[in-house]
Amino acid sequence: MAESLASECTPLKKEYDSCFNAWFEGYLEPAVSASSSPEKYSEYSQRKAEEFEQKCGKIWEGYRACVQKALKEKGLDIMLQQSREENPMNRPPPLPPSSSSS
Amino acid sequence: MRYHSQSFFYDDPWSIVSLAYFLRYPNPFASHIISCDVISRNVTPSGTLQTTRLILKRGSLPRWAPKGIISRAESWTLEESEVDPLGKTLRCTTKNLEFTKVMKMEESVFIRQTQDGKTAQTTEARVLSGFGWGLTKRIESHGLNKFKAHVQRSREGVSLILNLLRESRLQPMTLGGDSSQLHVTPAAVESKNTPKTQPSTWARMKGWFSPPKE
Repeated sequence: MAESLASECTPLKKEYDSCFNAWFEGYLEPAVSASSSPEKYSEYSQRKAEEFEQKCGKIWEGYRACVQKALKEKGLDIMLQQSREENPMNRPPPLPPSSSSS
Repeated sequence: MRYHSQSFFYDDPWSIVSLAYFLRYPNPFASHIISCDVISRNVTPSGTLQTTRLILKRGSLPRWAPKGIISRAESWTLEESEVDPLGKTLRCTTKNLEFTKVMKMEESVFIRQTQDGKTAQTTEARVLSGFGWGLTKRIESHGLNKFKAHVQRSREGVSLILNLLRESRLQPMTLGGDSSQLHVTPAAVESKNTPKTQPSTWARMKGWFSPPKE
């Protein structure tokens, strides 16, 4: 867990990272199999997202607010905005359809 | 534009490699990482996890780099990733946000599970310089060479974290706990509701994995 860009956010970041990592480990090994129905998986991931919100939501809001404030103060929000405008594809390309491991 | 691609395998299952990949900073092979922040993160309707991180890296400039073009050797990069735990894929793209007129560099990492339960990683780089002045080729080659060295170091870093994860699974009592990290965040301890000490990543790690069954 590296430092935050603003030292005042580092304690919040470490708390958030710890919370996220604990959740993430479980998220990576879904309790439903790839062969289960899309509805079932959708329901599962919904629950996973809610679990994250419940466990880490508050910590995330605090950390996010701290970083957003620091970004503004350092003028980095403008740089981020510019990079989005320059390259509207600001998301990784969509994933290929999951290999049908029947 | 220059392009380079490289693939290799890990013996470990996808979920552990992906965890190690997310945990890779800090590690001794990534001492150039100054800061790393999550600026957005969400679970998509299809159940994938999208994350954007803003990372400050310390870089070294080549000796022939024209003076004054790049005023400092630190630069901001944006890392965008998407994890699909059902399809067992992880995609991660990193690009520089500054000095893009001198050189645009984009790295794409794709980690997926193979048929035999191992994990394959493909790393691609695109380097584009619009600098001109006869330096374009030189800048692009330099960027590409830096990238090749970086892939090796990055791989060693992830492997190191993988080892720690593996060990923490086999010997749940021997890792973490007394890490010096325990003492470096007094500010975190101040807040009222947090537990009295903030365990280190590794201390936490051991708790994530159940003891081996064999």
